[in-house]
Amino acid sequence: MKRRNFIKSMMAVSAVAVTPVVLMAKDETKAKKKGPNDLTVEAAIKAITGGKEVKKSDKIKLTVPEIAENGAVVPVKVQVDHPMEESNYVKAIHVLNTKNGNSRCADVMLTPANGKGYFATRVKLSSTQEVVALVELSDGTFIKAGKSVKVTIGGCG
Amino acid sequence: MAEARKSMIKIKPKKYKTGDIVKVDFIVIHPMDTGLIKDKKTGKIKPAHYIDNITFSFDGKPFTTMKVWETVSTNPYFSVNYKVTGKGKITVDYTDNTGEKNTKSKKLKPKD
Repeated sequence: MKRRNFIKSMMAVSAVAVTPVVLMAKDETKAKKKGPNDLTVEAAIKAITGGKEVKKSDKIKLTVPEIAENGAVVPVKVQVDHPMEESNYVKAIHVLNTKNGNSRCADVMLTPANGKGYFATRVKLSSTQEVVALVELSDGTFIKAGKSVKVTIGGCG
Repeated sequence: MAEARKSMIKIKPKKYKTGDIVKVDFIVIHPMDTGLIKDKKTGKIKPAHYIDNITFSFDGKPFTTMKVWETVSTNPYFSVNYKVTGKGKITVDYTDNTGEKNTKSKKLKPKD
């Protein structure tokens, strides 16, 4: 029990006070496992939105395969049903995943010149997980949509 | 050494007019190493090597900028929309985390 309590208290303390130190230590110990840009999806969403509320929305059409045989190449297509005018447009599309070491895939900054809120790419997924599209509108609100992908063979090393 | 990478810009559909919304597809041959995989020959871990910034511009005016991480697949493909405003040149500038810079451009020729 002692050890358990000790670890608990350590975690609590580290989360509040010693975060930078712990992060650095993590980088050194986990660098081999998780890569240089290790970031969880919660932290990534927080970094993007700055703590703002994120609503689930039907406006986003996220197209991913239900079952991906090869996790190294998973096509992702994001379409946002939103006008693209000078004052009201889709500002950014962020493609995130939930279980890779680095949960960020791509941040796309759009302008009204694009004509439509659309982005497509191919990503690597290490295991069965969810792909999240986080969309920022020009008025500062965030909407998101997620879909899970079954991965038979992981593609992240 | 900055080597010239093979890359390609495709405009879809092939025939378009001014005012149409076209797809601009950009494909580049790039390893996109995550920094996790061992080299089978040497047994050493391959360092991370991935594209991190991409800028799509039309006649020098950027219309889409992207930040990309190593979680994007090998030989990546990016597709965005663009509303054709007239004749001009679409240019894609991309840099990777080792500082390698490249550009690729394609002319837009709308048929009116």
